[in-house]
Amino acid sequence: MEAKKKLISSGKRLDGRSWDDLRPIKLQVGLMKNADGSAYIEWGKNKIMAAVYGPKEVHPKHQVLPDRALLRCRYHMAPFSVDERKNPAPSRREIEISKVIREALEPAVIVEDYPRTAIEVWVEVLQSDGGSRCAGLTAASLALADAGINMRDMVSGCSCGIIDDTVVADLDDTEDKEGSGDMPVAIMPNLGQVTLLQVDGMYTREQFQKAFELAIEKGKQIYGMQREALTTRFFGGEAVSTQVEEVAE
Amino acid sequence: MPMMERKQVIPGDVITRGNYRYGSYIEKRGDEYIALRVGLAEVGRDGVKLNPLTGPYLPRAEDDVIGKVVDVNGFGWVVDINSCFDGFLPASFVFGREFSPSTHDLSSKFRVGDMIGARIESFERSRDPQLSIRGHGYGKIDSGEIIKISPTKVPRLIGRRGAMINLISEKTGCDVRVGQNGVVVVTGPAEGIVKTAKAVKMVEEEAHAADLMTKVEAYLGVGTDGGS
Amino acid sequence: MSMKKNYVVETIRKAQMVQLLAQGKRIDERALDQTRPITIETGLIQKANGSARVTLGNTQVIAGVKIATGTPFPDTPDKGLLVVNAEILPMASPYAEPGPPSEEAIELARVVDRGIRESEMVDLTKLCLVPGKTVVTVFVDCNVMNVDGNLFDATSYAVVAALRTAKMKKYVVKDEKAEAKDEMIPVPVERTPVSVTLARIGDKMVIDPSTEEEASMDMRITITTDDEGHICASQKGEASTITPAQVLEAADLSLKVGRAIRDQIIEATK
Repeated sequence: MEAKKKLISSGKRLDGRSWDDLRPIKLQVGLMKNADGSAYIEWGKNKIMAAVYGPKEVHPKHQVLPDRALLRCRYHMAPFSVDERKNPAPSRREIEISKVIREALEPAVIVEDYPRTAIEVWVEVLQSDGGSRCAGLTAASLALADAGINMRDMVSGCSCGIIDDTVVADLDDTEDKEGSGDMPVAIMPNLGQVTLLQVDGMYTREQFQKAFELAIEKGKQIYGMQREALTTRFFGGEAVSTQVEEVAE
Repeated sequence: MPMMERKQVIPGDVITRGNYRYGSYIEKRGDEYIALRVGLAEVGRDGVKLNPLTGPYLPRAEDDVIGKVVDVNGFGWVVDINSCFDGFLPASFVFGREFSPSTHDLSSKFRVGDMIGARIESFERSRDPQLSIRGHGYGKIDSGEIIKISPTKVPRLIGRRGAMINLISEKTGCDVRVGQNGVVVVTGPAEGIVKTAKAVKMVEEEAHAADLMTKVEAYLGVGTDGGS
Repeated sequence: MSMKKNYVVETIRKAQMVQLLAQGKRIDERALDQTRPITIETGLIQKANGSARVTLGNTQVIAGVKIATGTPFPDTPDKGLLVVNAEILPMASPYAEPGPPSEEAIELARVVDRGIRESEMVDLTKLCLVPGKTVVTVFVDCNVMNVDGNLFDATSYAVVAALRTAKMKKYVVKDEKAEAKDEMIPVPVERTPVSVTLARIGDKMVIDPSTEEEASMDMRITITTDDEGHICASQKGEASTITPAQVLEAADLSLKVGRAIRDQIIEATK
């Protein structure tokens, strides 16, 4: 009988990372020309494009909310994004993820500033490799900021979990499938609030706390990368603070 | 000369702490002033301000806008004003109160595709913004080059008391009409239009730069011999 | 996803367009038979067997190839299967909506498929493993990422580039059972079909229409040609008429312009 593959051994995971290393992450804001805002993320092997349209008219009209914007979100995986070709029609998993991403972003969006409108968030996974919902919502938050929609905070996400009884950060697809726990978490980093939490697996009370706190710490690290991406896009480099002479209007 | 702090911010950033007056795109939490948009924040004698670098045009009464007629119905014209809502120009505003669909042909005045300069007469929460073309300079725009910019850059394009727009207009020999909704129409000589388009693009891309005016002046050849 | 044909071109712009066309020029300074710059990037989706990202001006399409095994159609027991799908993503345009494919998306997929299939770009007989029982299925799925006119050509180039660079596992058949080995071989590609789309504005035909030109056109025709100068597929679109002379003019233009594009695609996918 074949021994079960070790996912972490002598502190090294299958891809060489240690328990709390993130995979390489690249963020680019504003690539999509028609969308009001957009952001592209590569997170390990994940490749995801997020785009925002809005505020805009609500269709169908009967769904309009008189005092706030209607936030819509679709998380969708391209048929070629996974090992076995996926049917383009939305699966139950995609529908659930669309909902949890929407609910993760909505606390940050000041929907009351845009009554009777819709704000639409499109997340398209071009290649998937574990942690795509956190990567998707991280890009979506950037796309919302790129579109200039009023937000009380950014939303940053990261997944942590358990492999070989060890708490680790940022599981890739193999670790998610072969491991014994996955916990995607998203936070609003300045407000210190959690807006997405899903847990599956078998955790002891200590492991649960460790994984959860690790995910929050990593979320803050992701937030630093989002800031850098927005700074590059809008300020052409380092965000600076300067003293200038005040001129009478 | 009093100094003020200018800071580049993203949503969620603390601009400053204390007790100030504050403007749009800012939320006060306790004694902290939080940015709600990507933009340039300023803290000075006038309080805390945020000049956003991106964002939609939300209709405001008395704004001058440039729009495109996208539909004609029995009672008026539906106008795309580059916003989350289409504007509506009531036929009665144009033909008078005696207007009736059976006696007045709306298409004779404006058709689908026409560009018009209008003013936002009113914008109530429960219906689309109402437009008016009463007054000098409003109505159909017959010709010109159409340029679209982010509505957040319009104040920079106009400049303090029109300084930027007047500079561009003077140096290119063009008439440059700017809608608050980010639509610009340029008329004039062909080379002037090309220069104007480049200058407008420059303003849009460098709106965050403190020395924008200097850059535009340099491009337009101000203070050099042979500048046109 | 449905695309409401809602884009209204400004009367001023249309007038400028028509005036320039009479002088043999277009509103974006192109010649009538000139395409916008085409960029082709391949191998961007490693999990796919082949992939390509094509930009045609601001129109952007990503195509991904996935290989699987399946049962052949009863009337072609010795041929593999080729399935071409296209989705106009909601993010691609303010007029695109999520949901099942609209008639525009379906026409797009079927016209692109026809060009690939009728040119016999992929030799389906080489994809037969066990006749009547097991064949290789080649799926090509296209995501339109950004719409700026001429989805037909951009999507077709993305499919061709993805297929030309696609690799599949080598199958070995033993006792009527097909087994995939780890060795990778290229998907059997014979030729390079090229799609060229023309739009009629007034009485002038322009190649590779942008969004504004499509909003001003009253007729469109797409023609796909192969390396040997055959015409493999064609589709006339829009509710309008076309004269026989214009059809032949379009065929000649497509053959002429198609050659340079074919060279570019082949160069990018060597």
